[in-house]
Amino acid sequence: MGEIPRIRIADVHKSFGPLEVLRGVSFDVHRGSVVSVIGASGSGKSTLLRCVNYLEPPSSGEVYIEGEPLGSRIDGRGQRKPRSLAEINAMRRELGVVFQQFNLWPHMTVLGNVIEAPIRVRKLPRKEAIAYGEECLRRVKLIDKLSEYPARLSGGQQQRAAIARALAMRPKAMLFDEATSSLDPELTDEVLGVMRELAADGTTMIVVTHEMNFAHEISDRVIFLHQGVIEEEGSPAEIFGAPKSERLRQFLSKYRK
Amino acid sequence: MSEALKQSLDISMFWEYRAVFLEGLTFNCLVFLCSAVVALSVGLGAALLRINRLWPMRWIGTLHVEVFRNAPDYIMLVWVHFVLPLLIGILIRRRVEFHPFLSAVLALGLVYSGYFAETFRAGIQAIPQGNLDAGRAFGMSERLILWRIALPQVVRRMLPEALNLFVSMFKATTIVSLIAVPDLMYNVSMVIQQEMRPLPLYSGAALTYFLIILLLSSGVRLFSERWRRKILA
Repeated sequence: MGEIPRIRIADVHKSFGPLEVLRGVSFDVHRGSVVSVIGASGSGKSTLLRCVNYLEPPSSGEVYIEGEPLGSRIDGRGQRKPRSLAEINAMRRELGVVFQQFNLWPHMTVLGNVIEAPIRVRKLPRKEAIAYGEECLRRVKLIDKLSEYPARLSGGQQQRAAIARALAMRPKAMLFDEATSSLDPELTDEVLGVMRELAADGTTMIVVTHEMNFAHEISDRVIFLHQGVIEEEGSPAEIFGAPKSERLRQFLSKYRK
Repeated sequence: MSEALKQSLDISMFWEYRAVFLEGLTFNCLVFLCSAVVALSVGLGAALLRINRLWPMRWIGTLHVEVFRNAPDYIMLVWVHFVLPLLIGILIRRRVEFHPFLSAVLALGLVYSGYFAETFRAGIQAIPQGNLDAGRAFGMSERLILWRIALPQVVRRMLPEALNLFVSMFKATTIVSLIAVPDLMYNVSMVIQQEMRPLPLYSGAALTYFLIILLLSSGVRLFSERWRRKILA
Protein backbone atom coordinates (compact mmCIF):
# COMPACT_ATOMS: atom_id res chain seq x y z
CA MET A 1 0.00 0.00 0.00
CA GLY A 2 2.73 2.46 0.96
CA GLU A 3 1.22 5.91 1.41
CA ILE A 4 -1.68 6.44 3.84
CA PRO A 5 -4.63 7.74 1.80
CA ARG A 6 -5.82 11.30 2.52
CA ILE A 7 -9.36 9.97 2.83
CA ARG A 8 -10.34 6.34 3.19
CA ILE A 9 -14.00 5.41 3.01
CA ALA A 10 -14.39 1.92 4.44
CA ASP A 11 -17.57 -0.08 3.98
CA VAL A 12 -19.90 2.84 4.66
CA HIS A 13 -23.55 1.96 5.08
CA LYS A 14 -26.35 4.44 5.63
CA SER A 15 -30.01 3.73 6.28
CA PHE A 16 -32.91 6.06 6.86
CA GLY A 17 -35.41 3.83 8.63
CA PRO A 18 -36.06 0.86 6.38
CA LEU A 19 -34.45 2.61 3.40
CA GLU A 20 -30.86 1.59 2.80
CA VAL A 21 -29.29 4.41 0.82
CA LEU A 22 -25.66 3.25 1.01
CA ARG A 23 -24.94 -0.46 1.08
CA GLY A 24 -21.24 -0.71 1.72
CA VAL A 25 -19.13 1.81 -0.16
CA SER A 26 -15.31 1.74 0.05
CA PHE A 27 -12.67 3.73 -1.77
CA ASP A 28 -9.48 5.71 -1.14
CA VAL A 29 -8.62 9.25 -2.13
CA HIS A 30 -4.90 9.90 -2.27
CA ARG A 31 -3.18 13.20 -1.70
CA GLY A 32 -3.53 15.52 -4.66
CA SER A 33 -5.95 13.32 -6.54
CA VAL A 34 -9.45 14.04 -7.75
CA VAL A 35 -12.15 11.40 -7.41
CA SER A 36 -15.48 12.04 -9.13
CA VAL A 37 -18.65 10.28 -8.07
CA ILE A 38 -21.31 9.95 -10.73
CA GLY A 39 -24.66 8.21 -10.77
CA ALA A 40 -28.37 8.79 -11.23
CA SER A 41 -30.43 10.82 -8.78
CA GLY A 42 -31.14 8.68 -5.76
CA SER A 43 -28.04 6.55 -6.25
CA GLY A 44 -26.71 7.82 -2.90
CA LYS A 45 -24.03 10.24 -4.19
CA SER A 46 -24.97 13.17 -2.00
CA THR A 47 -25.62 10.99 1.03
CA LEU A 48 -22.17 9.50 0.56
CA LEU A 49 -20.61 12.96 0.64
CA ARG A 50 -22.61 13.90 3.73
CA CYS A 51 -21.39 10.70 5.39
CA VAL A 52 -17.77 11.53 4.59
CA ASN A 53 -17.84 14.51 6.95
CA TYR A 54 -20.44 13.07 9.29
CA LEU A 55 -23.20 15.58 8.49
CA GLU A 56 -24.96 12.22 8.26
CA PRO A 57 -23.19 9.77 10.54
CA PRO A 58 -22.82 6.44 8.70
CA SER A 59 -24.95 3.60 10.08
CA SER A 60 -21.85 1.43 9.92
CA GLY A 61 -18.40 1.60 8.40
CA GLU A 62 -15.90 4.35 8.96
CA VAL A 63 -14.22 7.30 7.29
CA TYR A 64 -10.49 7.85 7.87
CA ILE A 65 -8.68 11.13 7.39
CA GLU A 66 -4.98 10.40 7.01
CA GLY A 67 -5.48 7.14 8.82
CA GLU A 68 -7.40 8.71 11.71
CA PRO A 69 -10.99 7.42 12.08
CA LEU A 70 -13.42 10.35 11.97
CA GLY A 71 -16.27 8.95 14.00
CA SER A 72 -14.41 6.86 16.54
CA ARG A 73 -11.06 6.57 18.24
CA ILE A 74 -9.03 3.83 19.79
CA ASP A 75 -8.78 4.31 23.56
CA GLY A 76 -5.90 3.33 25.85
CA ARG A 77 -7.02 -0.29 26.03
CA GLY A 78 -7.19 -0.66 22.28
CA GLN A 79 -10.99 -0.44 22.24
CA ARG A 80 -12.89 1.50 19.63
CA LYS A 81 -14.97 4.32 21.17
CA PRO A 82 -17.34 6.67 19.34
CA ARG A 83 -16.14 10.25 19.31
CA SER A 84 -18.06 13.05 21.00
CA LEU A 85 -19.62 15.76 18.84
CA ALA A 86 -16.81 18.14 19.82
CA GLU A 87 -14.19 15.66 18.62
CA ILE A 88 -16.07 15.05 15.38
CA ASN A 89 -16.17 18.83 14.92
CA ALA A 90 -12.42 18.97 15.34
CA MET A 91 -12.00 16.27 12.68
CA ARG A 92 -14.48 17.55 10.12
CA ARG A 93 -12.90 20.99 9.91
CA GLU A 94 -10.17 19.25 7.88
CA LEU A 95 -12.68 18.79 5.06
CA GLY A 96 -13.92 21.79 3.07
CA VAL A 97 -17.45 21.35 1.82
CA VAL A 98 -19.11 23.11 -1.10
CA PHE A 99 -22.87 22.62 -1.20
CA GLN A 100 -25.26 22.55 -4.12
CA GLN A 101 -27.23 25.44 -2.60
CA PHE A 102 -24.08 27.45 -1.70
CA ASN A 103 -25.36 27.93 1.86
CA LEU A 104 -23.54 31.21 2.37
CA TRP A 105 -24.50 33.00 5.57
CA PRO A 106 -26.70 35.83 4.33
CA HIS A 107 -26.05 38.21 7.22
CA MET A 108 -22.30 38.32 6.61
CA THR A 109 -20.40 39.92 3.77
CA VAL A 110 -18.43 37.71 1.40
CA LEU A 111 -15.26 38.31 3.41
CA GLY A 112 -17.23 37.78 6.64
CA ASN A 113 -18.32 34.37 5.37
CA VAL A 114 -14.75 33.48 4.43
CA ILE A 115 -13.08 34.46 7.71
CA GLU A 116 -15.81 33.26 10.10
CA ALA A 117 -14.71 29.66 10.59
CA PRO A 118 -10.95 30.38 10.50
CA ILE A 119 -11.42 32.92 13.32
CA ARG A 120 -14.03 31.07 15.41
CA VAL A 121 -12.97 27.48 14.83
CA ARG A 122 -9.30 27.61 13.91
CA LYS A 123 -8.79 30.56 16.31
CA LEU A 124 -6.71 32.40 13.74
CA PRO A 125 -5.92 36.05 14.59
CA ARG A 126 -8.32 38.29 12.67
CA LYS A 127 -5.58 39.98 10.65
CA GLU A 128 -4.18 36.67 9.49
CA ALA A 129 -7.63 35.34 8.66
CA ILE A 130 -8.37 38.42 6.55
CA ALA A 131 -5.05 38.19 4.71
CA TYR A 132 -5.56 34.53 3.86
CA GLY A 133 -9.27 35.05 3.17
CA GLU A 134 -8.39 37.70 0.60
CA GLU A 135 -5.93 35.32 -0.99
CA CYS A 136 -8.67 32.69 -1.27
CA LEU A 137 -11.04 35.25 -2.79
CA ARG A 138 -8.36 36.14 -5.30
CA ARG A 139 -8.09 32.47 -6.24
CA VAL A 140 -11.80 32.34 -7.06
CA LYS A 141 -11.60 35.78 -8.73
CA LEU A 142 -14.02 37.44 -6.34
CA ILE A 143 -11.72 39.87 -4.58
CA ASP A 144 -13.69 42.87 -5.88
CA LYS A 145 -16.87 41.61 -4.17
CA LEU A 146 -15.46 41.04 -0.71
CA SER A 147 -17.70 43.55 1.03
CA GLU A 148 -20.91 42.60 -0.78
CA TYR A 149 -23.69 40.62 0.89
CA PRO A 150 -24.54 37.25 -0.70
CA ALA A 151 -28.02 38.43 -1.73
CA ARG A 152 -26.40 40.88 -4.15
CA LEU A 153 -24.32 38.24 -5.95
CA SER A 154 -25.19 35.99 -8.89
CA GLY A 155 -25.41 32.24 -8.30
CA GLY A 156 -22.00 31.66 -9.83
CA GLN A 157 -20.44 34.35 -7.67
CA GLN A 158 -22.11 32.93 -4.57
CA GLN A 159 -20.75 29.49 -5.33
CA ARG A 160 -17.25 30.86 -5.89
CA ALA A 161 -17.53 32.67 -2.55
CA ALA A 162 -18.55 29.36 -0.98
CA ILE A 163 -15.47 27.72 -2.49
CA ALA A 164 -13.28 30.48 -1.06
CA ARG A 165 -14.96 29.98 2.32
CA ALA A 166 -14.04 26.29 2.25
CA LEU A 167 -10.48 26.98 1.07
CA ALA A 168 -9.93 29.49 3.87
CA MET A 169 -9.97 26.66 6.40
CA ARG A 170 -6.90 25.15 4.64
CA PRO A 171 -8.67 21.78 4.43
CA LYS A 172 -6.89 18.51 3.74
CA ALA A 173 -9.49 17.79 1.07
CA MET A 174 -12.40 19.54 -0.64
CA LEU A 175 -15.81 17.92 -1.05
CA PHE A 176 -18.03 19.24 -3.84
CA ASP A 177 -21.69 18.25 -3.68
CA GLU A 178 -23.15 18.96 -7.13
CA ALA A 179 -21.61 22.40 -6.98
CA THR A 180 -23.09 23.51 -10.30
CA SER A 181 -26.47 21.77 -10.26
CA SER A 182 -28.47 24.77 -9.11
CA LEU A 183 -26.77 27.21 -11.46
CA ASP A 184 -27.98 28.51 -14.80
CA PRO A 185 -25.98 26.90 -17.62
CA GLU A 186 -24.18 30.15 -18.44
CA LEU A 187 -22.95 30.38 -14.85
CA THR A 188 -21.63 26.85 -14.45
CA ASP A 189 -18.46 27.54 -16.44
CA GLU A 190 -17.09 30.12 -14.04
CA VAL A 191 -17.47 27.65 -11.16
CA LEU A 192 -16.08 24.69 -13.11
CA GLY A 193 -13.17 26.91 -14.12
CA VAL A 194 -12.29 27.54 -10.47
CA MET A 195 -12.59 23.84 -9.66
CA ARG A 196 -10.38 22.99 -12.62
CA GLU A 197 -7.68 25.32 -11.29
CA LEU A 198 -7.92 23.83 -7.81
CA ALA A 199 -7.45 20.35 -9.29
CA ALA A 200 -4.46 21.56 -11.31
CA ASP A 201 -2.94 23.02 -8.12
CA GLY A 202 -2.98 19.57 -6.54
CA THR A 203 -6.00 19.98 -4.26
CA THR A 204 -7.36 16.67 -3.01
CA MET A 205 -11.00 16.57 -4.08
CA ILE A 206 -14.10 14.42 -4.06
CA VAL A 207 -16.48 15.74 -6.67
CA VAL A 208 -20.10 14.62 -6.88
CA THR A 209 -21.29 15.85 -10.23
CA HIS A 210 -23.67 15.57 -13.18
CA GLU A 211 -21.17 17.24 -15.52
CA MET A 212 -19.77 14.21 -17.34
CA ASN A 213 -17.36 16.11 -19.55
CA PHE A 214 -15.99 17.88 -16.54
CA ALA A 215 -15.60 14.64 -14.58
CA HIS A 216 -13.85 13.11 -17.57
CA GLU A 217 -11.44 16.01 -17.81
CA ILE A 218 -10.37 16.60 -14.20
CA SER A 219 -10.67 13.23 -12.46
CA ASP A 220 -7.91 10.79 -11.65
CA ARG A 221 -10.55 8.24 -10.80
CA VAL A 222 -14.28 8.00 -11.43
CA ILE A 223 -16.76 6.09 -9.30
CA PHE A 224 -20.17 5.11 -10.63
CA LEU A 225 -22.65 4.64 -7.86
CA HIS A 226 -25.83 2.66 -8.41
CA GLN A 227 -28.42 1.95 -5.72
CA GLY A 228 -25.99 2.57 -2.90
CA VAL A 229 -23.06 0.46 -4.11
CA ILE A 230 -20.11 1.08 -6.41
CA GLU A 231 -21.19 -0.48 -9.68
CA GLU A 232 -18.03 0.37 -11.52
CA GLU A 233 -14.89 2.39 -10.95
CA GLY A 234 -11.79 3.22 -12.90
CA SER A 235 -9.85 5.89 -14.71
CA PRO A 236 -11.89 8.42 -16.71
CA ALA A 237 -10.74 6.70 -19.89
CA GLU A 238 -12.06 3.35 -18.67
CA ILE A 239 -15.34 4.69 -17.30
CA PHE A 240 -16.23 6.97 -20.17
CA GLY A 241 -14.35 5.19 -22.95
CA ALA A 242 -15.02 1.55 -22.21
CA PRO A 243 -17.80 1.11 -19.65
CA LYS A 244 -18.11 -2.54 -18.67
CA SER A 245 -21.50 -2.75 -16.98
CA GLU A 246 -24.80 -2.39 -18.76
CA ARG A 247 -26.04 0.07 -16.13
CA LEU A 248 -23.14 2.45 -16.63
CA ARG A 249 -23.61 2.26 -20.41
CA GLN A 250 -27.29 3.11 -19.97
CA PHE A 251 -26.50 5.93 -17.57
CA LEU A 252 -23.89 7.46 -19.87
CA SER A 253 -26.07 7.18 -22.94
CA LYS A 254 -28.54 9.61 -21.33
CA TYR A 255 -25.79 12.23 -21.23
CA ARG A 256 -24.59 11.65 -24.77
CA LYS A 257 -27.85 12.55 -26.44
CA MET B 1 -68.06 72.80 20.51
CA SER B 2 -69.68 72.10 23.84
CA GLU B 3 -68.03 73.45 26.95
CA ALA B 4 -67.50 69.97 28.39
CA LEU B 5 -65.67 68.73 25.34
CA LYS B 6 -63.56 71.87 25.16
CA GLN B 7 -62.55 71.35 28.76
CA SER B 8 -61.67 67.73 28.32
CA LEU B 9 -59.39 68.48 25.41
CA ASP B 10 -57.65 71.33 27.19
CA ILE B 11 -54.46 69.68 28.32
CA SER B 12 -52.84 72.76 29.85
CA MET B 13 -53.45 71.25 33.27
CA PHE B 14 -51.52 68.16 32.19
CA TRP B 15 -48.65 70.42 31.21
CA GLU B 16 -48.68 72.06 34.68
CA TYR B 17 -47.92 68.74 36.27
CA ARG B 18 -45.32 67.74 33.69
CA ALA B 19 -42.53 67.19 36.24
CA VAL B 20 -44.58 64.63 38.19
CA PHE B 21 -45.69 62.93 35.01
CA LEU B 22 -42.22 62.78 33.58
CA GLU B 23 -41.11 61.02 36.72
CA GLY B 24 -43.94 58.53 36.25
CA LEU B 25 -43.02 58.04 32.63
CA THR B 26 -39.49 57.14 33.67
CA PHE B 27 -41.00 54.28 35.65
CA ASN B 28 -42.90 53.11 32.57
CA CYS B 29 -39.65 53.09 30.65
CA LEU B 30 -37.81 51.26 33.42
CA VAL B 31 -40.52 48.62 33.75
CA PHE B 32 -40.54 48.29 29.97
CA LEU B 33 -36.78 47.87 29.65
CA CYS B 34 -36.45 45.39 32.50
CA SER B 35 -39.41 43.28 31.41
CA ALA B 36 -38.13 43.36 27.82
CA VAL B 37 -34.89 41.80 29.05
CA VAL B 38 -36.86 39.13 30.93
CA ALA B 39 -39.20 38.50 28.00
CA LEU B 40 -36.39 38.19 25.46
CA SER B 41 -34.14 35.91 27.49
CA VAL B 42 -36.89 33.69 28.90
CA GLY B 43 -38.56 33.70 25.47
CA LEU B 44 -35.37 32.55 23.75
CA GLY B 45 -34.95 29.82 26.36
CA ALA B 46 -38.52 28.63 25.86
CA ALA B 47 -38.10 28.69 22.06
CA LEU B 48 -34.98 26.52 22.32
CA LEU B 49 -36.93 24.09 24.52
CA ARG B 50 -39.74 24.05 21.97
CA ILE B 51 -37.39 22.83 19.24
CA ASN B 52 -35.34 20.50 21.44
CA ARG B 53 -34.78 16.93 20.30
CA LEU B 54 -36.08 15.50 23.59
CA TRP B 55 -39.83 15.46 23.97
CA PRO B 56 -39.92 16.32 27.72
CA MET B 57 -38.03 19.51 26.88
CA ARG B 58 -40.42 20.32 24.05
CA TRP B 59 -43.29 19.66 26.40
CA ILE B 60 -41.98 22.11 29.02
CA GLY B 61 -41.45 24.72 26.31
CA THR B 62 -44.98 24.30 25.01
CA LEU B 63 -46.42 24.47 28.52
CA HIS B 64 -44.55 27.71 29.13
CA VAL B 65 -45.79 29.30 25.92
CA GLU B 66 -49.40 28.25 26.45
CA VAL B 67 -49.55 29.29 30.11
CA PHE B 68 -48.13 32.75 29.64
CA ARG B 69 -49.52 33.59 26.24
CA ASN B 70 -53.03 32.74 27.32
CA ALA B 71 -52.97 34.62 30.62
CA PRO B 72 -54.26 38.22 30.59
CA ASP B 73 -51.46 40.52 31.78
CA TYR B 74 -53.81 42.08 34.34
CA ILE B 75 -54.44 38.75 36.06
CA MET B 76 -50.80 37.69 35.78
CA LEU B 77 -49.76 40.91 37.49
CA VAL B 78 -52.13 40.45 40.40
CA TRP B 79 -51.23 36.78 40.66
CA VAL B 80 -47.47 37.37 40.66
CA HIS B 81 -47.79 40.19 43.18
CA PHE B 82 -50.16 38.58 45.66
CA VAL B 83 -50.26 34.80 45.15
CA LEU B 84 -46.71 33.94 44.13
CA PRO B 85 -45.13 35.40 47.33
CA LEU B 86 -47.59 33.34 49.41
CA LEU B 87 -46.63 30.14 47.58
CA ILE B 88 -42.91 30.84 47.93
CA GLY B 89 -43.53 31.75 51.59
CA ILE B 90 -45.10 28.36 52.23
CA LEU B 91 -42.21 26.61 50.49
CA ILE B 92 -39.44 28.32 52.44
CA ARG B 93 -41.52 28.85 55.61
CA ARG B 94 -40.92 32.57 55.71
CA ARG B 95 -43.00 35.62 54.99
CA VAL B 96 -42.22 36.83 51.50
CA GLU B 97 -43.28 40.07 49.85
CA PHE B 98 -42.47 41.27 46.36
CA HIS B 99 -41.58 44.87 45.65
CA PRO B 100 -44.24 46.14 43.21
CA PHE B 101 -41.55 46.96 40.68
CA LEU B 102 -40.26 43.38 40.78
CA SER B 103 -43.76 41.97 40.41
CA ALA B 104 -44.44 44.26 37.47
CA VAL B 105 -41.25 43.26 35.68
CA LEU B 106 -41.78 39.56 36.36
CA ALA B 107 -45.43 39.55 35.30
CA LEU B 108 -44.99 41.51 32.08
CA GLY B 109 -41.72 39.75 31.28
CA LEU B 110 -43.30 36.32 31.66
CA VAL B 111 -46.47 37.10 29.71
CA TYR B 112 -44.47 38.50 26.81
CA SER B 113 -41.88 35.73 26.98
CA GLY B 114 -44.70 33.47 25.75
CA TYR B 115 -45.15 35.63 22.65
CA PHE B 116 -41.43 36.11 22.07
CA ALA B 117 -40.83 32.37 22.36
CA GLU B 118 -43.13 31.80 19.40
CA THR B 119 -41.53 34.59 17.40
CA PHE B 120 -38.06 33.22 18.10
CA ARG B 121 -39.15 29.69 17.25
CA ALA B 122 -40.66 30.69 13.94
CA GLY B 123 -37.53 32.68 13.15
CA ILE B 124 -35.18 29.83 13.96
CA GLN B 125 -37.22 27.33 11.99
CA ALA B 126 -37.29 29.64 8.97
CA ILE B 127 -33.51 29.40 8.59
CA PRO B 128 -32.65 26.98 5.79
CA GLN B 129 -31.13 23.78 7.18
CA GLY B 130 -28.23 24.08 4.74
CA ASN B 131 -27.16 27.29 6.39
CA LEU B 132 -26.69 25.46 9.68
CA ASP B 133 -25.14 22.45 7.91
CA ALA B 134 -22.50 24.78 6.50
CA GLY B 135 -21.60 25.78 10.05
CA ARG B 136 -21.38 22.17 11.16
CA ALA B 137 -19.33 21.23 8.13
CA PHE B 138 -16.69 23.77 9.15
CA GLY B 139 -16.49 22.33 12.64
CA MET B 140 -18.55 25.00 14.43
CA SER B 141 -20.10 23.92 17.72
CA GLU B 142 -23.87 24.05 18.19
CA ARG B 143 -23.39 27.06 20.46
CA LEU B 144 -21.34 28.95 17.89
CA ILE B 145 -23.94 28.12 15.24
CA LEU B 146 -26.71 29.47 17.46
CA TRP B 147 -24.95 32.74 18.30
CA ARG B 148 -23.11 33.47 15.07
CA ILE B 149 -25.35 32.00 12.39
CA ALA B 150 -28.88 31.39 13.63
CA LEU B 151 -29.64 34.29 15.98
CA PRO B 152 -28.30 37.15 13.82
CA GLN B 153 -30.63 35.97 11.06
CA VAL B 154 -33.51 35.30 13.43
CA VAL B 155 -33.28 38.80 14.89
CA ARG B 156 -33.52 40.37 11.46
CA ARG B 157 -36.38 38.16 10.39
CA MET B 158 -38.42 38.65 13.55
CA LEU B 159 -37.86 42.38 13.81
CA PRO B 160 -41.20 43.60 12.40
CA GLU B 161 -43.15 41.25 14.63
CA ALA B 162 -40.94 41.98 17.63
CA LEU B 163 -41.56 45.67 17.13
CA ASN B 164 -45.31 45.09 17.42
CA LEU B 165 -44.75 43.08 20.57
CA PHE B 166 -42.62 45.84 22.06
CA VAL B 167 -45.36 48.38 21.33
CA SER B 168 -47.98 46.22 23.08
CA MET B 169 -45.56 45.71 25.91
CA PHE B 170 -44.98 49.41 26.37
CA LYS B 171 -48.71 50.01 26.45
CA ALA B 172 -49.10 47.17 28.91
CA THR B 173 -46.77 48.94 31.33
CA THR B 174 -49.70 51.22 32.20
CA ILE B 175 -51.35 48.46 34.23
CA VAL B 176 -48.53 48.41 36.77
CA SER B 177 -50.27 51.37 38.46
CA LEU B 178 -52.68 48.73 39.78
CA ILE B 179 -50.10 47.45 42.21
CA ALA B 180 -48.88 50.96 43.06
CA VAL B 181 -45.82 51.24 40.86
CA PRO B 182 -45.67 55.06 40.54
CA ASP B 183 -45.80 55.16 36.75
CA LEU B 184 -47.43 57.84 34.59
CA MET B 185 -50.96 56.46 34.97
CA TYR B 186 -50.52 56.15 38.71
CA ASN B 187 -49.42 59.76 38.99
CA VAL B 188 -52.24 60.87 36.72
CA SER B 189 -54.74 59.14 39.02
CA MET B 190 -53.18 60.83 42.03
CA VAL B 191 -53.45 64.27 40.44
CA ILE B 192 -57.03 63.53 39.38
CA GLN B 193 -57.94 62.88 42.99
CA GLN B 194 -56.62 66.34 43.83
CA GLU B 195 -57.90 68.31 40.88
CA MET B 196 -61.12 66.40 40.17
CA ARG B 197 -60.67 66.95 36.44
CA PRO B 198 -60.09 63.50 34.96
CA LEU B 199 -60.86 64.20 31.32
CA PRO B 200 -58.09 66.63 30.33
CA LEU B 201 -55.59 64.67 32.40
CA TYR B 202 -56.47 61.38 30.72
CA SER B 203 -56.37 63.07 27.32
CA GLY B 204 -52.91 64.34 28.10
CA ALA B 205 -51.74 60.91 29.16
CA ALA B 206 -53.19 59.34 26.02
CA LEU B 207 -51.46 61.90 23.84
CA THR B 208 -48.16 61.33 25.62
CA TYR B 209 -48.27 57.55 25.10
CA PHE B 210 -49.37 57.99 21.52
CA LEU B 211 -46.51 60.32 20.66
CA ILE B 212 -43.83 58.30 22.41
CA ILE B 213 -44.84 55.02 20.81
CA LEU B 214 -45.29 56.57 17.39
CA LEU B 215 -41.90 58.27 17.48
CA LEU B 216 -39.99 55.34 18.91
CA SER B 217 -41.49 52.68 16.68
CA SER B 218 -41.15 54.64 13.46
CA GLY B 219 -37.60 55.51 14.47
CA VAL B 220 -36.72 51.87 15.06
CA ARG B 221 -38.45 50.80 11.86
CA LEU B 222 -36.58 53.38 9.82
CA PHE B 223 -33.27 52.39 11.31
CA SER B 224 -33.83 48.63 11.13
CA GLU B 225 -35.38 48.26 7.71
CA ARG B 226 -32.25 49.02 5.71
CA TRP B 227 -30.16 46.81 7.93
CA ARG B 228 -32.72 44.02 7.58
CA ARG B 229 -33.15 44.32 3.82
CA LYS B 230 -29.47 43.81 3.15
CA ILE B 231 -29.68 40.08 3.85
CA LEU B 232 -32.94 39.35 2.09
CA ALA B 233 -32.67 38.56 -1.56
